[in-house]
Amino acid sequence: MARPTLDTAADPATARLALTTVRPPRRFARRGRRRGGRWTGWLFAAPALAAYAIFVLRPLFLTIEYSLYRWDGIGPSTWVGLDNYIKVFTDPDLFGTILNAFKLIVFFSAIPVLLGLAIAATIRRIATSRLALVARTVLFLPQVIPLVAAGITWSWLLASTGLINQLLSYVRLNGVTRAWLGDFATALPAVGMIGAWVLLGLCTLLLLAGMSKIDPALYEAARIDGAGPVREFFSITMPSLRQEIGVCITVTVVAALASFDIVYVSTQGGPGNTTMVPGLEIYYQAFSERQVGVASALAVVLMALVLACVLPIQWLAREEQR
Amino acid sequence: MSRPSTLSRRGFLGLGGGVGVAAALGAAGCGGPGSDKPDAATASTALAAAPSIGTAPVTMKAYFETGFPMPKALTDEFTRQYPNVKWDIREDQFAVITQNAPRVLADDPPDLMRLPQVSELVKNGLLKNLDGYAQAFGWDKWPASQLEQLRVGPGGRPRGEGSLYAMGLNFSMTGIFYNKKLAAQIGMTAPPATLDELDDLLAKAKRAGITPIVQFNGGATGGFAFPLQNLMASYGPPGPINDWIFQKPGASIDTPANLKATEHLDRWIKAGYFDKDANAMDYAKMMSKFIAGGCLLMFNGDWESGTLDKQMPGNAGFFLMPPAERGGKRAAMSAPLTVGISAKAKNADYAAFFLNWVASNQRAREIAVDVGGSHPMGPPDAYMPPVKEGSVTAATLAAGAQIAQDNGAMDFIANATGSIYAKSWTPQLQKLFAGQQDPKALLKAVQSDYESQVGS
Amino acid sequence: MIVTRREAWTGQLLLVLLMAVTVIPFVSLFVTALHPSGTYPPGLDWPTHPRWSNFADAFRAAHMDELLISSALIVLGVVPVSLLIGTMAGFAIGHLRMAGRRLVFLAFVLGLTLPFEGIITPLYYQIRDMGLLNTRWAIILPLIGLFMPFSVFWMRAHFINMPEELSEGARIDGANVWQLFWRIHVPLAMPALSSLAILLFLWTWNQFLLAIVLVDDPAKRTMAGALGAFQGQWGTDIPLLCAGSLLILAPTLVIFLIFQRRFVSALLQGSLKG
Repeated sequence: MARPTLDTAADPATARLALTTVRPPRRFARRGRRRGGRWTGWLFAAPALAAYAIFVLRPLFLTIEYSLYRWDGIGPSTWVGLDNYIKVFTDPDLFGTILNAFKLIVFFSAIPVLLGLAIAATIRRIATSRLALVARTVLFLPQVIPLVAAGITWSWLLASTGLINQLLSYVRLNGVTRAWLGDFATALPAVGMIGAWVLLGLCTLLLLAGMSKIDPALYEAARIDGAGPVREFFSITMPSLRQEIGVCITVTVVAALASFDIVYVSTQGGPGNTTMVPGLEIYYQAFSERQVGVASALAVVLMALVLACVLPIQWLAREEQR
Repeated sequence: MSRPSTLSRRGFLGLGGGVGVAAALGAAGCGGPGSDKPDAATASTALAAAPSIGTAPVTMKAYFETGFPMPKALTDEFTRQYPNVKWDIREDQFAVITQNAPRVLADDPPDLMRLPQVSELVKNGLLKNLDGYAQAFGWDKWPASQLEQLRVGPGGRPRGEGSLYAMGLNFSMTGIFYNKKLAAQIGMTAPPATLDELDDLLAKAKRAGITPIVQFNGGATGGFAFPLQNLMASYGPPGPINDWIFQKPGASIDTPANLKATEHLDRWIKAGYFDKDANAMDYAKMMSKFIAGGCLLMFNGDWESGTLDKQMPGNAGFFLMPPAERGGKRAAMSAPLTVGISAKAKNADYAAFFLNWVASNQRAREIAVDVGGSHPMGPPDAYMPPVKEGSVTAATLAAGAQIAQDNGAMDFIANATGSIYAKSWTPQLQKLFAGQQDPKALLKAVQSDYESQVGS
Repeated sequence: MIVTRREAWTGQLLLVLLMAVTVIPFVSLFVTALHPSGTYPPGLDWPTHPRWSNFADAFRAAHMDELLISSALIVLGVVPVSLLIGTMAGFAIGHLRMAGRRLVFLAFVLGLTLPFEGIITPLYYQIRDMGLLNTRWAIILPLIGLFMPFSVFWMRAHFINMPEELSEGARIDGANVWQLFWRIHVPLAMPALSSLAILLFLWTWNQFLLAIVLVDDPAKRTMAGALGAFQGQWGTDIPLLCAGSLLILAPTLVIFLIFQRRFVSALLQGSLKG
């Protein structure tokens, strides 16, 4: 699913308005009836805040609390301080999940973004044709279906008798065929390909939408100057797409780090531990192994990782916001 | 120009710091989560009389394993005989049931649940103590070996003695199924009597272009544990293996006999005797491949005898794993099809009645043999339905008698602890098949996982 | 725009290729669903006797009617409430400029990239202690909370653009804040609201983690959660699994195709603005 990012000012007008809200509104009397803003505002925001506090903030604090204990979910708990965190970083199985998540970023992020850029650049000129309009709908299908369905579909395609192997044998590559999701070496890339399929359409369309905002006169000028398509791409297209690229990377990186559905349904983390991701490991540790403390520590590490990845991307993408 | 990003960043760090401080304060201030009083294993309640089904309508909640028709056939028959009892059955795959067991038993308790392994569940007080029912229904008068694996000592270990915490729907027997047609093709006239003869058979099959063994090893369930344990029993006595499974103090799986067994399995893998897709194959795929007739042998249990008799009539055979030395004692995995009653079950009495009915009712016993293929529980002189001559069911039942004679019944090494299968055996066996692990290191790794799981 | 013939052709070819890669998995699902139950058909292989009855079997096995109702109930529980309180909060922060709005807004923004797995463990025990485990409320209530960051963010972005004069005029006419909100601003916010509604609907319908952890009964889950249960129960019967998956996908696909333009623009804006 499309995960939101932190972009608050999409255009100069909004940015200017944002500036005005920064000024403290001390013009009005404390108990001013004119705005009634103070308390009415809180009344309006209260339900949302309540729902958020009860079902998000409280569990968030509790996760941090649980991570400092050893608890099986039923009986009493024992204080262990930072032991769980040490375990997360030293146990090869647990730390391996974090490494796997980063490896998945290559597939979930790099492939859709790079491929999306290339494809969007190529089809930019026919972006308003009827074929492109049909394509908009079709390319969004992977974003609309639940990730579980994508996982089930692709598990079947990647099976040893599945379509992928059938296609490979058509082009005489029989030696390469195998059960992609069951092989130690190819399981993680195979899961990565599923994610890439889900996210490619979204990235392509986002980048295409960004490209259509670029003034065509720039391209005309470059054309007249004799620039080829490659020059055009690097000098005109890429720089203007900073924000969109930032969004694509953010959405895909978060999808890779927080992946659960696809792995749960296709490999359950196997074979061995090669496709185990933090999200799934948290689930197993908490509900199957009854190690709530370890699960919570891993959860905290995961959330920190997501922030650590998203914030720099956001900062870089908006560096030159005019 | 406006830089809301800077604002956000500072805000984040501030908020993050605030959260951290609050959490630390909160953690230091109050006690940890969870109750203070540990849940003791439930004590047994003596029953005045054996419970019975009344006439009031009742809906029983059951959680069974998918792909096995016998429990459903039994519940259907039960409803036929007692129409006021309806069943709400949930099915899931073996690995998922194992994962869900602690959570489901504690928070959404079914009346009856298929349980692969009970030690941790008993330790956490999640299963009902069945001693009272055993006394009321007379289960404690059955041959002790039937209920041995279902008994757990106080605190969850060791198994094999103590109060009864689960029952079995029947008693299974495992070994090697073979395709009679393909066997005749390579000249197998009688089941192999020694391990060497079995090796010869596998080599002959490979030369003839037949896949020697189809065995599942994929997903969260490493089916190579079957041939491995069979080999362990060929090389050494079943006693130490059972001790390890039952969590007796000081037991170890890393023994010289077991090492020889693992090396033997490794030789089979390297010789290419297994179907090359083993690491991606799940149980159902293995069954379907064997039934389709593409391979000679399959290590499995008699719960499939009924299915094989129906889908490959007259073409499926069965023999027990041969010993290493000629004339040696035979051993095989043989365990009850474990089901337990949740400690918080609503209809525990009815569930116990059902379990007794399965073992004593004539029609139920017929279903156990015809659909389930295995021997029902109960006293040795109880009604046994007639079995067709030459069917694989007859072969497995006969094998059961031999194992009883040789005292060679073992539980499954996958059942030693709640997570030894998913977290230890399966990944290690998958690595062994992929050539990424060697036999010595495999046994050491499993033993060390076992010790950390049992010690906790 | 100068478009050479060759560029147009390569572009069109790429688009068609991309669409094929997107659609072929669904086609494969469909073709496999027509094979006899229990078999493992190779790749893309039209069966000799297509078993259309598989769809009927899957419909019954999955209790599709119950699933549809359950998902619809959950969506009805989550989306209207989220829209309302999210808009109210966005209004308060963006337009009423309540005191402390920066802190409140930052609190919400913190939750924007929160992975659900981060809080699922305490959420489970919290729901259990509330006695709501295995009910639809176990999915509805946490989702409302989890959707607040994005909803508040989205609606605030809209309300910030609303000019002050609008509200001044209404106040002079004697409207109180609620009337200002309900009669004037909400109708103006319809485009943003409808996009948000589509996004929330999609995210609720496809919610998987909460469904499988907090609810055991597939008839009380979302469609995606029920698909997980379906795979657990019938996963070894591939044709039936494919038929069931297609059936479970069908409602989402149908709704998507009907409202496609709104969906596409909502998803694109949602990623950009979010």
